Amino acid sequence: MIDVTLKLNKRERVLNALTGKDVDRPPVSNPTNVATVELMDYVNAPFPDACRDAELNARLALTGHTELGFDSIAPYFTIIQESSALGCEMQWEQKDNWPTVRMGNPIWKTSSDIKIPAGFLEHKDNVAITRSIHILREEVKNEVAILGKTMGPWTLAYHVFGVEPFLLMSIDDPAETRKILRKLKDITVLFGQAQIDAGADVLVLPDHATGDLVSGKYYDDFLLELHQELVDDLKVPLILHICGRTIDRMPSIAKSGMAAFHFDSKNLPVDAMEAVNNGINLVGNINNPETLYSKTTKEVREEVFRALDAGVQLIAPECAIPLKTKIENLLAIPDAVNEWVSNKFQS
Amino acid sequence: MIKHEGLKEEFKYVTNPDEQEHIGGLFASGDMLMQEIAYNLITGQNDQVGILVKQALDEDYTANIVLDDGLIAGMAIVGVKFRDNIIFVPEVLISARAMKAGMEHIEPILSASGVKPIGTVIMGTVKGDLHDIGKNLCIMMLRGGGFSVHDLGVDTKPDDFIDAVMEHDAAIVGMSALLTTTMPNMGTTIEAFEDAGMREEVKIMVGGAPVTQEFADEMGADAYGANAVDCVQKAKDLSAAK
Repeated sequence: MIDVTLKLNKRERVLNALTGKDVDRPPVSNPTNVATVELMDYVNAPFPDACRDAELNARLALTGHTELGFDSIAPYFTIIQESSALGCEMQWEQKDNWPTVRMGNPIWKTSSDIKIPAGFLEHKDNVAITRSIHILREEVKNEVAILGKTMGPWTLAYHVFGVEPFLLMSIDDPAETRKILRKLKDITVLFGQAQIDAGADVLVLPDHATGDLVSGKYYDDFLLELHQELVDDLKVPLILHICGRTIDRMPSIAKSGMAAFHFDSKNLPVDAMEAVNNGINLVGNINNPETLYSKTTKEVREEVFRALDAGVQLIAPECAIPLKTKIENLLAIPDAVNEWVSNKFQS
Repeated sequence: MIKHEGLKEEFKYVTNPDEQEHIGGLFASGDMLMQEIAYNLITGQNDQVGILVKQALDEDYTANIVLDDGLIAGMAIVGVKFRDNIIFVPEVLISARAMKAGMEHIEPILSASGVKPIGTVIMGTVKGDLHDIGKNLCIMMLRGGGFSVHDLGVDTKPDDFIDAVMEHDAAIVGMSALLTTTMPNMGTTIEAFEDAGMREEVKIMVGGAPVTQEFADEMGADAYGANAVDCVQKAKDLSAAK
């Protein structure tokens, strides 16, 4: 419920929304990256260094609060840190391109290959995140929500086994697939807990069992139980992130016990709200490639209003934004939320 | 006429009257061996498809007949089921694997026969994007549809697309992206063709999970392929328009 008489800081606003408590306005959040080339230039913290160096990482992450006015900050800009620490071949790219895992050269073939390297949490690319969270906590105290991020077992499997081999395995040998996911879940917990220990308020858990790749039945068959266990393992609110079409699996996602589901613009907010039927909070779903990247602030505001009118509890871009997205379109998101609240509750 | 019981069940997923006529026509001969190949392809039985294709060639079926009435006919039903969300990528991948098992016997014969392709297509995932499943499915369908395809792989720079068009005298370029963060590189590549003075010489089609017709239009592409089946149709349309 929205109670405009409440006096909440950003952190309280996000945590209240995620735990079903009243808020003074819906929070503006960033479960996935909102850093842009403009922001990298502004604080002199460019990709890929800002992904690998804690000081630069924290400096760039902080702009989500200081420059964009979002209610949360998120130092894990990509989805590849722990995969680098596991030994995957990486392509770190340049300032205006996204770092990625070379999934065409997977490091493992079977469940018996899965071994967490000694010193996994001390790997440079994991320390960049945990140390950054420490720095950010010092910086923002308890005023701004800090979102950590740990990859779910399905996404990790894409990175370490390759997307195509892993999806083929899911049909050829479902039992082996389940074994793999259960083993990879240990990595999810390990890195997630390290971020909680470092000071993260919330963990985002990307696990890309998207309708663009697999059926809704896959979520039930392979992931629901593991996600329920992760809720028990990681004692902070969890935000599940899955891109693409997900309406068909939202009723199951609502049973995961996670605090929120971060959903894509391919799913209409009203349809998503109906699908989850109050079983889980929704975060989303402002379109990136068209609206935020290439349209005007007017169209951004219209999308924010559409999500709010539908009852979406936290507003955010649908996924990691293109790095050349204009800042003015990102600034329009919190502006639009304030305008919507003002029109609805304070007229 | 479809006689194979399993294939009859699969054909029930084809509900569009035009597609029923087109795909049903591919099985018009009523040949049980071709229908057995199609059914095993749809259900992803790669070993069986390899065996059956070899058997057909040994029995003097032509490579073109096996390709059209067996493999492509089966893949047409796979395409419809994929487009209509009855099956998803893993199920398509096992069919693609089965198609490949059949093509291993057919390709050498087709290559030796000197049959000219419908057209030449350059395919690649855009710069910064390392995902290739969608692109690979499109390539397989394009080859099955009679196109010569040159695969540039993933993380393809604009200049690599341009060089490949020149090297292979290709009329069509297909670009794929899975990430919303890399989709703008489709526009960058199209601009590179403009800068090189080659935009009028090639037709450019785009696709990928987050790509839409609206985005394709904004980037200045000539066509948007919503899925692998659509990709082949768009390539045929672009070839006809050249």
